[in-house]
Amino acid sequence: MSFFSFDTTLARDHGHNPSAPGFSQAADPFAGLSRPGDEDEDDALDFEDTYDGLGDQLDETDDVFNEDTFGVGESGAVSNKPVGKDFDFFGQTAKVSDAINEEQMRFSRQQPIPRAPPTMTAYSQPAPKPARTGYEKYKEPQTIPDMQVDPTLWGVAPKRSAPAAEKPAAPATQASSRKMMSLEEVEAAMRAQAKKPAQAQPQVAPPPHQQYSGPPQQQYAQPPPQQYQPSYPRTSQQHPGQITEPQREDVQPAYSGPPGQPVQILQRSQHMPSQPMPPPTLPHPTQILQNPNRVSADQQRPAPALHGHQSRPSGSRHIITHPQQLANLSEEERAAFLLEDAKRAKRNHKIFLLSKDNGLMTPQDKNFITRIQLQQLVTATGNPNEHGTDSALSEDFYYQVHNQIRGGPRQHPGQPLSNFAQTYLFQTGGRHGMRRQARGGDNHMQRMEQQVQRAVEAAKNKPKNKQLVIEGSLGKISFSNAKTPKPLLNIKRDSGTDVQQPSSATRDRRAHQAGVSGGDRKTVLADIESVYNTLMEMEDHDRQLPPPLHDDVDPELVGRHMDWREKAQKLNQKLWRQLKVHEPIGATAVHPFIAFLSFNKGKKAIARVFRHITHEQRTTILTMIIVHLDQLDVVRNAQLLSGETLLTAGIRENVELFSLAVMPSLFAYLSEADLDIVTGVLGLILNINIDVIARTRVGVSMLTMILSRAELIKQAGSAKETEWEQWVSVYNKFFDGLEPTLPTIFPGTVNTGEDVYVWQFLAAIGIGASPEQQQRLVVAVKDRVMETVALAKTLPLDMSSQRLGNVNLFMRSIGLDVDLLV
Amino acid sequence: MADVDDGATAPVSEPLDLVRLSLDEVVFVKLRGDRELKGRLHAYDSHCNLVLGDVEETIYVVEENEEEEEVVRTIHKKSEMLFVRGDSVVLISPQAPS
Repeated sequence: MSFFSFDTTLARDHGHNPSAPGFSQAADPFAGLSRPGDEDEDDALDFEDTYDGLGDQLDETDDVFNEDTFGVGESGAVSNKPVGKDFDFFGQTAKVSDAINEEQMRFSRQQPIPRAPPTMTAYSQPAPKPARTGYEKYKEPQTIPDMQVDPTLWGVAPKRSAPAAEKPAAPATQASSRKMMSLEEVEAAMRAQAKKPAQAQPQVAPPPHQQYSGPPQQQYAQPPPQQYQPSYPRTSQQHPGQITEPQREDVQPAYSGPPGQPVQILQRSQHMPSQPMPPPTLPHPTQILQNPNRVSADQQRPAPALHGHQSRPSGSRHIITHPQQLANLSEEERAAFLLEDAKRAKRNHKIFLLSKDNGLMTPQDKNFITRIQLQQLVTATGNPNEHGTDSALSEDFYYQVHNQIRGGPRQHPGQPLSNFAQTYLFQTGGRHGMRRQARGGDNHMQRMEQQVQRAVEAAKNKPKNKQLVIEGSLGKISFSNAKTPKPLLNIKRDSGTDVQQPSSATRDRRAHQAGVSGGDRKTVLADIESVYNTLMEMEDHDRQLPPPLHDDVDPELVGRHMDWREKAQKLNQKLWRQLKVHEPIGATAVHPFIAFLSFNKGKKAIARVFRHITHEQRTTILTMIIVHLDQLDVVRNAQLLSGETLLTAGIRENVELFSLAVMPSLFAYLSEADLDIVTGVLGLILNINIDVIARTRVGVSMLTMILSRAELIKQAGSAKETEWEQWVSVYNKFFDGLEPTLPTIFPGTVNTGEDVYVWQFLAAIGIGASPEQQQRLVVAVKDRVMETVALAKTLPLDMSSQRLGNVNLFMRSIGLDVDLLV
Repeated sequence: MADVDDGATAPVSEPLDLVRLSLDEVVFVKLRGDRELKGRLHAYDSHCNLVLGDVEETIYVVEENEEEEEVVRTIHKKSEMLFVRGDSVVLISPQAPS
């Protein structure tokens, strides 16, 4: 038969499941040895034999003679029993072999690597250097741990055979299958050793020594981690080894034959306290561990160079080198020690992880990366030297404007670096400053600064070619970046709004004349938008104001100033046209400028407009507003009908906005106006419906403003006599016109309490009034005064004093005090 | 009259310029997914991304009741400020003050 047939036979004989052997088992050609109850024929079976066809002859045909051969009765099926006894020794051996195999498997699974060193220490003279473990890189050269531990495990045997021989009990408890070895076992072991020299050597060999090398065997399972771990997390790993140690220590004193030996050893060890390389064969485990200096030195060395020999504090926890010491510690101390150790190990591990990639990049690499980043940042933020120009503004308008408002750091032109670079450098510097790496930080800073400067230079010098035409080629390559994307569409837009404007104005006028109310709204909205456009242009233009003229006349600078003024003038005209202040009054239902003011965004624009217009223009605007005061939405819509105590929210909001957006501009203008203007303004009011405006907040505020300005001028005494007389006559007319309204001037009832502006107004009237007028004034508002005083008595103190204070504004102006009434 | 219309739209050269007129005004915005917004237009861009303030959002949800009739339910939400991504905007309409 063929080889294959033999194979199946064998399997069947052994009761082997042919499908079972996995990959790993197949690697073990001696699996048969470990089978208890194997027949001895297996031994005889050889590859050559089977090839001869012996297997064939063993087939059923020969079964007939089995009885003859083995002398067993009728059933040839169960014939094992007599045979078993005769050949039993191998079965026994196989048991041991099994155990050994098991042990080997277990060990190899736990630690596949460290097969070599034990072999070396056990059978050859221990090499001065351990076999390579692959972790040397992380240890300092000539690390001791390997040297130290190996002798502990293996070097013990020869020297301490006498004491060790007396403690068979200890290993016996741990490895029950490994008691005294019988002759058969030894034999089997030897045979097994011979058969598998490569694999089983270290494990099989021990049996002869097994009585005393029990501990090493036992340690086999545990300490490998101790030996072969990378040195960083090592400290924590050491504990298992150390903690198991005490068992040994406890036993040792009992059996140590020569009593003086430990002392002797101890003494000798102290002679070489800090010697890093002990003679490899000599050291005892006890000896090493009992010498604190040595071991502490050893423990320190593999630690990652963070703390040197001396840096380790000599606190009680740290010099624990003797396991006995650890055992003697109290629970807390031990816990603390372990905790400390674990912490240290964790930190070391972290450092190890962090430092893993150290030195991956050369300084040149880092420079390169930095340059790229800077370049990108510079191109992204634009050439910083274009600061203030259109492109920079369009790039980050809000930053630039904010910077201008805030008076940013780059206000003077001589500053070399851009804001961006400054910021960047500042931040980098700040970080280093915080870290107090003064030296390295400075260098780094300087390098950075130089690089930024270089990058900025490069960006500046780079020609702004949007296209590259390679010589000889037909096409062009156009570049794009974040700032100037490649234009895919090229639409020419009319930028000539200037050209359109006059005609549009005339058309607008015609639209107004047509009085189309539907289109009106849109027209006004369009007007507002164009005003905003122009405002933005003007604000832009303001930013481009050339540097101020110096004493030495620079013709170019003067020219620039003239150009600038000319442009400003043009823009001003444009804005003025768009505001439509000069549209004829009464041509439309609502004057365009008043319509303009009826939109909130129109109101908001006034403050900005006032900044860009001349004094005369401001006067005109004030005049326009006064003339149309009764038509303003905030006046017209803010009339409280009888029965109403509060305006609608929308109107109140508009009034509020007008007070905040428009009034301050007017007030600021009026506070510088002369008496003739004030008189003229008040005269205009005489022509409109005083009753309407006096019953609204905006109207009353406006009147207060005018009257108080006149009073201030009077007190300053700067007005001419004729002007003053003029003012008084106008005032008298105004008072006459106002008097019928006075009783209804207060909004709502007395309870609403929103009448402070009215009291202010009354005070303004009262100051300028003649005694006779004051009399009339008191009569007109007497009821309200009394009501308020009465109400104030029922109110809590703070509220009542506030109310009375309001009334007192008026009372004081006419020389009275509310206390007289209370 | 055509002239008048032309005059009214003088600064308007593209459709979005009409949206511009509604800046800072209350607008009505219809969105995909049966949603409507009403709020003050603070900002917009060429994608019709909008920033609206004081927004009232209305969502129309079609549900089936027990008789398997379709019933439209509306959900109202109010937001102080809203950013609307332009790809969901169907229309923007100026809302005359009520």
